[in-house]
Amino acid sequence: MLRLPPYQYHRPGSVAEAVALMAEHGDDAMYVSGGTDLVPNMKHRLFEPGHLIALKGIDELKGIEELPGENGDGGVLRIGAAETLTAVSAKPHVRELFPALAEAAAHVAGPQLRNAGTIGGNVCLDTRCTYYNQTHFWREALGFCLKKDGEVCHVTRTGKKCVAAHSADTPPVLMTLGASAVLTGPSGSREVLISEFFVADGIVNTRRATDEILTEIRIPLASATRRQAYMKLRQRKSIDFPLLTVAVAADLDENDAVRTIDGVVTGLGSRPRALSKWAEVAAGRTLDDALIDELSERAYKQCHPLENIIVDPEWRRAMVPVYVRRALEHVAGA
Amino acid sequence: MSKTTSIARLRVNGDLREVGVPTHYTLLETLRYVLALTGTKQGCDKGDCGACTVIVDGAPTLSCLTPVWEAEDRDIITVEGLAGPDGPHPLQDEFDLNGAAQCGFCTPGILCSAAALLARTSSPTRNEIQEALAGNLCRCTGYAKIYDAVESAGRRLSVSKEATG
Amino acid sequence: MSTKGANLKSDWHLIGSSMRKIEGLAKSTGRAVYTDDVTFPGMLHGKILRSPHPHARIVAIDTSRAEQLDGVQAVITGRDLPIQYGIIPWTPDEYPLCVDRVRYIGDGVAAVAAVDEDTANEALALIEVEYEELPAFFDPHDAERADGSTPYVHDARKDGWNGNITKMVKLEFGDIEGGMDSADVVVEGDYFFEGTTHAPIEPHCAIGQWDGVGKLTVWSATQVPHYLHRELARVLELDQAQVRVRQPLVGGAFGGKSEPFDLEFCVAKLAMMTGRPVKILYTREEVFYSHRGRHPFHMHYRTGATADGRLTSVDAKILLDGGAYASFGLVTTYYSGQLLCAPYDMPAYRFDSTRVYTNKPACGPKRGHGSVQPRFAFEVQIDKLAEHVELDPIEFRRRNFIGEHTKTVNELRVTSNGFLECLSSVEAASGWSEKFRNMPFGRGIGIAGSTYISGTNYPIYPNEMPQSAVQMQIDRSGRVAVFSGASEIGQGCDSVVAYIAAEELGVPLEWVRVLRGDTDFTPVDLGAYSSRVTFMLGNAAIDAATRLKKLVQSSVAKAWDVKPSEVLLAGGAALWAHDTGRQMSIVEAFHLAEAEHGTLGATGWYNTPKDVHGEYRGGTIGASPAYSFTSHVAEVEVDIDTGFVDVKKIWIAHDCGRALNPVLVEGQMEGSAYMGAAEAIMEEHVFKDGDHGRAGLHNAPSLLDYRIPTSLDTPELQSLIVESIDPEGPYGAKEAGEGPLHPSIPAIANAIYDAIGVRMDRLPFTPPNVWRAIQRAREAGTLAKPSAPANATANPPLSETVQAD
Ligand SMILES: Cc1cc2nc3c(=O)[nH]c(=O)nc-3n(C[C@H](O)[C@H](O)[C@H](O)COP(=O)(O)OP(=O)(O)OC[C@H]3O[C@@H](n4cnc5c(N)ncnc54)[C@H](O)[C@@H]3O)c2cc1C
Ligand code: SF4
Ligand code: FES
Ligand code: FES
Repeated sequence: MLRLPPYQYHRPGSVAEAVALMAEHGDDAMYVSGGTDLVPNMKHRLFEPGHLIALKGIDELKGIEELPGENGDGGVLRIGAAETLTAVSAKPHVRELFPALAEAAAHVAGPQLRNAGTIGGNVCLDTRCTYYNQTHFWREALGFCLKKDGEVCHVTRTGKKCVAAHSADTPPVLMTLGASAVLTGPSGSREVLISEFFVADGIVNTRRATDEILTEIRIPLASATRRQAYMKLRQRKSIDFPLLTVAVAADLDENDAVRTIDGVVTGLGSRPRALSKWAEVAAGRTLDDALIDELSERAYKQCHPLENIIVDPEWRRAMVPVYVRRALEHVAGA
Repeated sequence: MSKTTSIARLRVNGDLREVGVPTHYTLLETLRYVLALTGTKQGCDKGDCGACTVIVDGAPTLSCLTPVWEAEDRDIITVEGLAGPDGPHPLQDEFDLNGAAQCGFCTPGILCSAAALLARTSSPTRNEIQEALAGNLCRCTGYAKIYDAVESAGRRLSVSKEATG
Repeated sequence: MSTKGANLKSDWHLIGSSMRKIEGLAKSTGRAVYTDDVTFPGMLHGKILRSPHPHARIVAIDTSRAEQLDGVQAVITGRDLPIQYGIIPWTPDEYPLCVDRVRYIGDGVAAVAAVDEDTANEALALIEVEYEELPAFFDPHDAERADGSTPYVHDARKDGWNGNITKMVKLEFGDIEGGMDSADVVVEGDYFFEGTTHAPIEPHCAIGQWDGVGKLTVWSATQVPHYLHRELARVLELDQAQVRVRQPLVGGAFGGKSEPFDLEFCVAKLAMMTGRPVKILYTREEVFYSHRGRHPFHMHYRTGATADGRLTSVDAKILLDGGAYASFGLVTTYYSGQLLCAPYDMPAYRFDSTRVYTNKPACGPKRGHGSVQPRFAFEVQIDKLAEHVELDPIEFRRRNFIGEHTKTVNELRVTSNGFLECLSSVEAASGWSEKFRNMPFGRGIGIAGSTYISGTNYPIYPNEMPQSAVQMQIDRSGRVAVFSGASEIGQGCDSVVAYIAAEELGVPLEWVRVLRGDTDFTPVDLGAYSSRVTFMLGNAAIDAATRLKKLVQSSVAKAWDVKPSEVLLAGGAALWAHDTGRQMSIVEAFHLAEAEHGTLGATGWYNTPKDVHGEYRGGTIGASPAYSFTSHVAEVEVDIDTGFVDVKKIWIAHDCGRALNPVLVEGQMEGSAYMGAAEAIMEEHVFKDGDHGRAGLHNAPSLLDYRIPTSLDTPELQSLIVESIDPEGPYGAKEAGEGPLHPSIPAIANAIYDAIGVRMDRLPFTPPNVWRAIQRAREAGTLAKPSAPANATANPPLSETVQAD
């Protein structure tokens, strides 16, 4: 068997208790939710925490419900971080308001993994790389790499930067919906926009401090009026991580002209990439073939996949405009 | 970190079992090597194949990725728990009748995924079956006979449901 | 018995009907026992330390720290097992653990036995190995060209030879160049078949047990217990009589468990050293390193045909990338050429095949051993030829049908042959004539055919003894015990012997018990490889059952004062053929027979015909008692923006001689077509190169990154059984386990061409590869639906020349 390193499993009953356990064990502890990312990574000796602090049993981290707005904003849909991807994808509430999110959640991994994996874990997912998600034996034969145990990056071939790929399906959609994450740590809670949550560093690609718990996702209910699309490129129709994920959301006016439009792609670099200058180009125009062409072309120019994933980067790059176009067509036709 | 052992309270196939388990064991290791419930199989040990699927609180779950402590206080059903006193579960019988188990190594996991599906709906569409089994790799059958078996079992379950209720 | 096993009457009660498998319910209820399900009190767990280098000399190994670790009971290195082995007796080139040189990343160098796996892993980390790295060979062309300036993968057997060459075979039949000259069209092409691996869901596992005084038992997930038995005895220097191999049910094999592996020798040695049972279970990563999968083939074909679509000459040159060890490579090299000569008539044929060693995991036999790769190339060649001569490709194939009860150009004897019926079945079922060259751009349909052996006439080690045998015994209760040494790997061979016993002896199927998987009490069967089992074991079972049947018939006949041949045994009774009202229960009949003849037991066996091959070196390789035939039609949809090939459906027609149990035959057909489609569209067993991390490192030894299709990726499969009734097969049966894989791949390639006019001559047809081919076609202006053959409808099928009888 592929053995796990030894650890103690803690099952706190509350967020406060979990944060306290983390304070007690410090660097030797990690939070675990569904474990579908962390457990394989531990089996590969990418992490060897002596203490796992389980979040799944904490009631505060559960629930999918609408919260009324404060000071005139329109309220949010709150999704507890420990809700499973199955729950997120099946919940009628999510499907009606944010169909792209339901779709994204329904396309993560395979059915059993979605029954265990959580949305919090998906947002906090470790980055992935062909030189990293391997056994200890394999990585040792390679000579390890910068992200773990080694000195060089085999993708960029320098020692300076890790470019492992952000590979989670839901964050791009959450970004286009203007969602935020609530993080709770020893010094209280803070809310961070998902679009500002990620940083371009493959080693640790989020702004979450290691002792902070992502407690919930909040999606502005106002975003429910946006037209949304989600597309995933992968070689098999199940189980596989994305080679490319595209999320698009747009507000159209009564004449079907674009008021605002957002596109996010991931599966390429260390963080999801918000496609730039879309709004400027598209504002006031209808989403016709010409505009779709223009936006897809912009996406292509902005994306430069690397060999962090073992699949042909040139092809992956060529797929960016194809999938962006399909997503835009979906939005235009929806 | 050194290895330690604790007592796990597990409800497996209706039996409450209290067993000493090294704290870093997965549910799969506990089922197979502590409880001797070897029906559940291991094909990759890291979430890629579905051979280790068991039903936890009604949901097909990969036991190789489940820390054993996460399974405490829940209802665990393994392939050994599908059959009842009246004989095998219709799925088990139909798998045999339809030749849906060749080498049989993926079978326990597939049966757990399929049983959870049929518990939700006894007349799933072919596409629903494919979706439900999309996390269980079978290398022998090409899946065709598995679909037939799940459909036949579903029919038997609907008939018996009608009869009883 | 003789080699004529066929019994051609067709009024059987069980044979030919759909039946349960005897272990079916055990499998679906979780009761079935596989090797890793077996444990023993006091059992230790072993682990193998593997080489991190693709090619290196072992300078020194220090195991002392590992030995001192608490919980470690034994540590071994190559020096503890210094005898070489290999599945082919002429090419032993492996040690259980490397002695002085490692040859691929993953090669075993030491092993430990400890109280549990964690301790064993800890111990491995404490073993210090000093290596001297050597330059390595990864590209087979480089290996072939090597001049000895750096060490070969294996030392040359003679001075001046290239040690990287495992085997060269050049065989020529008929007048090649004359055939090419007489052709109206010659098609020439390069093809590449990427390596693929078996990926059975069960990882290899073995347990060793030593009784302390002289008896070794090894449980293993092997598909060749007999060969394992022999090699264990040889390497461990025991008499074969001291060794017992037990084979629990096997969770898939496909050729990947058809030779001894390091773990089996290691558990044996460690058990002998510690006196305790020792288990080793491969991790999935180790399964990838042990490999023995399909060889990457670089192929060049030149094929000539006349304007009316008859083959004139076939010329092939093939380079096989063998990986680090010989494995079955000698046979693979022959098979790369020998198995191409049917179902089409070839007036002239030549192949020139070379297998080289490279510093990668060893290749070996995978379902359709050695012949899947050339079949891909050749069936695409045929598609191209048909297009050149403007014939429908099915018609082209019909015109070249070799016929039945004939000989191939390389002198293989072909008996029954249902290939034409296979062609017409898939043609009709798929709606071929409406679809071919007629679907919208992006959708297409393709055809391919093939043949495969039903076992080999010659065993792996030369001997005159039977290839398969069973022992049957009748109990007073009516229960029939069958002792079978055949390897149940999911294909249903245990059930087949039970069906035969029940059929012949007239007992209900539930009364038959198959005792299996133990070399101590089952007669020898050579193993589950080259699709030999149903044919050979089936004939052996018929032989044993008929011997017993005769005893029962004679006793009943005596009691009734009728002729023995008039006594039927069926449905739990003995009946008089002329008046079935006259009957007695089968138990009563057995009692009569036992009273008269003594305890009822018999052995039965089968040996292959030995006089039906060409008199040339290698002429025996490829010779089989019977050949199966297959044809597939595949329908695809190609997304030209992405390169995704969606295989919508495969129609599989397979001539299995007779379907003893159609459910089992269909299962083999569907599983084969699935595996072929998988190799076509997604599987690639590849390695990093120097520009990507480290050369020789397995690209992705996991079931996540070595992608095999999920339920959502598998095409719809429709089985069409064709029964040609072979004169020598059991009840006329032939193989069904490997043949039906072959045509999937070229049928898909040909369908892609029909869809978008792009030839895919290199596997696999993954989206990036197809996308690149589409880009090239776009630039060349050839991305378009190919035009329909002019002669397709003008020429009605030549039915007078194609009818088999
Ligand atoms: C075979 C396979 C295929 C997969 N395919 C996909 C795929 O297609 N798409 C995809 O997106 N993912 C995929 N995954 C990854 C994973 O299953 C999902 O991303 C899942 O959502 C992770 O959630 P989890 O709860 O299991 O995370 P965990 O494994 O529990 O945690 C992941 C990481 O996040 C941290 N963490 C988790 N929850 C919190 C929290 N609330 N607060 C702070 N930190 C937290 C953990 O410490 C850990 O570092 C796949 C995994 C496998 C094994
Ligand atoms: S991108 Fe470079 S540093 Fe990061 S994981 Fe991959 S090889 Fe390692
Ligand atoms: S063993 Fe759990 S998914 Fe493969
Ligand atoms: S029956 Fe063998 S893997 Fe499914």
